[in-house]
Amino acid sequence: MGRGFIAMALLEKQRTEAGAGNPRPRLSLRTKDRLSAVPFLVGPVALVGVMLLVPFVATAYQSLTDDDGFTSSFIGFDNYVALLEDPTFVRSLLNTLLWTVGTLILPVGIGLLIAVLTNAVPGGRWLKYVFVLPYALSGTATAVIWGFILRSDGALNQAIEFFGGDAAASGWLLTWPTNTIVMIVASTWQATGVTVILFMIGLQAIPKEVVQAGELDGASGLRLFWHVILPQLRPVTIVVIGMSIANSLRVFDLIWLLTKGGPGAASETLAVTMYRQTFILSDYGAGAAVAVVLSVIVVGASWFYLRHQYKRG
Amino acid sequence: MYRSYGMKRRSLVAAAVGGVPFAIGLAGCSQGSSSGGGSSDAVTLNGDRADFTDAYKLAGAELEAITGYGIEPRNVPSTENYQQVVRSSLQTESTTDLVKWWNGYRLQDLARSGGLADLSQQWESAVDKGWVNPETRESFSYDGKVYGMPMYKSYWVMFYNTNVFDEVGIAPPTTWEEFDQNNAALKDAGVTPLFATQEAGWTSSIWFAELLSKLDPQFYVALMAGEAKYTDETTQEAMRIWSEMYAKGYFTAADVAWDSEPSLLANGEVAQVPMGTWRNGTFAEAGLGEGDYSAFLLPMIDPNAAPSTIVESGVISVAEKTPKQEAALETMANWLDPAVQQVWVENIKDTSANPQVTTDDPILGTVLEAVSAQTPTELVRYWEASPPALIEGGVQYLGAFMADPSEANIMPTLENLQALADEEWAKWDAGS
Repeated sequence: MGRGFIAMALLEKQRTEAGAGNPRPRLSLRTKDRLSAVPFLVGPVALVGVMLLVPFVATAYQSLTDDDGFTSSFIGFDNYVALLEDPTFVRSLLNTLLWTVGTLILPVGIGLLIAVLTNAVPGGRWLKYVFVLPYALSGTATAVIWGFILRSDGALNQAIEFFGGDAAASGWLLTWPTNTIVMIVASTWQATGVTVILFMIGLQAIPKEVVQAGELDGASGLRLFWHVILPQLRPVTIVVIGMSIANSLRVFDLIWLLTKGGPGAASETLAVTMYRQTFILSDYGAGAAVAVVLSVIVVGASWFYLRHQYKRG
Repeated sequence: MYRSYGMKRRSLVAAAVGGVPFAIGLAGCSQGSSSGGGSSDAVTLNGDRADFTDAYKLAGAELEAITGYGIEPRNVPSTENYQQVVRSSLQTESTTDLVKWWNGYRLQDLARSGGLADLSQQWESAVDKGWVNPETRESFSYDGKVYGMPMYKSYWVMFYNTNVFDEVGIAPPTTWEEFDQNNAALKDAGVTPLFATQEAGWTSSIWFAELLSKLDPQFYVALMAGEAKYTDETTQEAMRIWSEMYAKGYFTAADVAWDSEPSLLANGEVAQVPMGTWRNGTFAEAGLGEGDYSAFLLPMIDPNAAPSTIVESGVISVAEKTPKQEAALETMANWLDPAVQQVWVENIKDTSANPQVTTDDPILGTVLEAVSAQTPTELVRYWEASPPALIEGGVQYLGAFMADPSEANIMPTLENLQALADEEWAKWDAGS
């Protein structure tokens, strides 16, 4: 859903940019016209209000209470203070940061690389489907598959031993930061498909004349890519990065199924901490506080990123 | 033509809010779930064990013959979601009439919310008929009143693959020394002697509780009750034994999937599995036939200590706010009736809390024989023996220890556990 909104917002931006070369006179809306739009807005606004904003306000209030699911009392900002003093929460923030950086570098970078390479080679159209296919899997299926690979008795260690190597004494999922890194890799395997598709669309939309003009000016290879193709991909890159940020901040299913945030709380991210506080420890107030912190970070990061991009645009 | 700035603002708000559906769904989820209703001649029972559904119905049919009310089971497959549903629905009339729950502190947690009906009268009546061991009353009580009737009585035992034992030439141990020798022989034969994993979260408590209770059962009781410390010498000793067993290579990797435990035992990759007898049915389903596996009570580490065994019992409780409370109480008054229990335990392949109910399952028969011969002190399982928040946090630290079971990690782990215990006992005592 979040991805959808971000993509819509950004594609809208592209559309606006695309139309910039052919400006139409801006029509001023009269009050009557504005009023006539109201009936059309009531439905969506009510839907967003009831489904999203009301629960958000309820969650924000709950974060200021001591709530065990049975009884609830107002305690001000105590839940937030307790979070800041909790080393698990700090680790969780750090892991969330790792996920954000990791998913920015890997799915975006690898997606761009695959799109560019498969676009250039014969048969690349078909080759790219190999990378796109995992995107059709759910997060749960991805976690189950990677569980078989990554556990100490899993396929990866068996393969390492088969080829005469020494499998890690402590499993891939058992030590930090290895467990977080391998889970980012698993997530990359699944999520790169969509970035490949988006970059492919971007590449196909680049006018041939622009590339030819660059080539005529003597650019080729990396130089052509860096100075001609990449700038043309900017609108689609904004979409891809925006989606990656939102996805990385809310990652949950993969971690929950592979490590449950453990061992201990070593691989927890904010979404996992929120779940554990709420549904495992039945501390609904603390869980809501994590939810609010997570929401603020997602909103803040998206707002900052998009605003920055629009300003540059 | 859109005005780009206005669109941007609207879209950004939508994008930002839409980006965390999980966070926002939280409040919505916590507002309860309607689970009432049901036909008039049956009481509804909510649970988290889909595999119990048939057994509930069969026991319900027996109950209907006695009380006129059968059981209509409901099921929430995820334990976490189930707890959530019960917590929120117990406060309303849309609760099921009966709820499956856990004994010990987990039951107390629910009972002190006021959501459960007092079953003291039904308990006393069962005691009078000899249907339940009166000594176990405390683990079903809060503030002197009984709030749950035992669902079953699972003994924590060591299941083992008899074929592997025969091939290696070893027999079930009667002393800790023999147990250690068996493990060494199994290791030499290329079989992993013992199953252990932290993968399912709660499973990290199994070996900790086994080792500590076999070392000093009284200390285990005191620690669980908050009267001893995790940093005390006895706990350190139990952790040292655990660490040494890891160093000898006796255990499976700490991240092996818990779901694979029955198949690992069945195919002989792992020789022994510490587990409650409630898992007996699962082992049979994994292809272990009669004669392929058996069970023994793990010997005491300290030969001078009186024998002990960890016992676990789910409970069935009655919702205080159910409109059909009378029928629900009547059902619970007859739950431990031998006719009902016989059908029930035969189906779930576990032992009954009613000592009059016998079993023809050979594995359970072996366990009951051992219990009858050794008369071990029955201890409450770690999972139910302390306040839930302490246990849930505790299994995290124990899981982290299993990932790094070095001697150097013992004291940091125990210090973390003690700090958590101090905090959570204070909260529990304050009633929050």
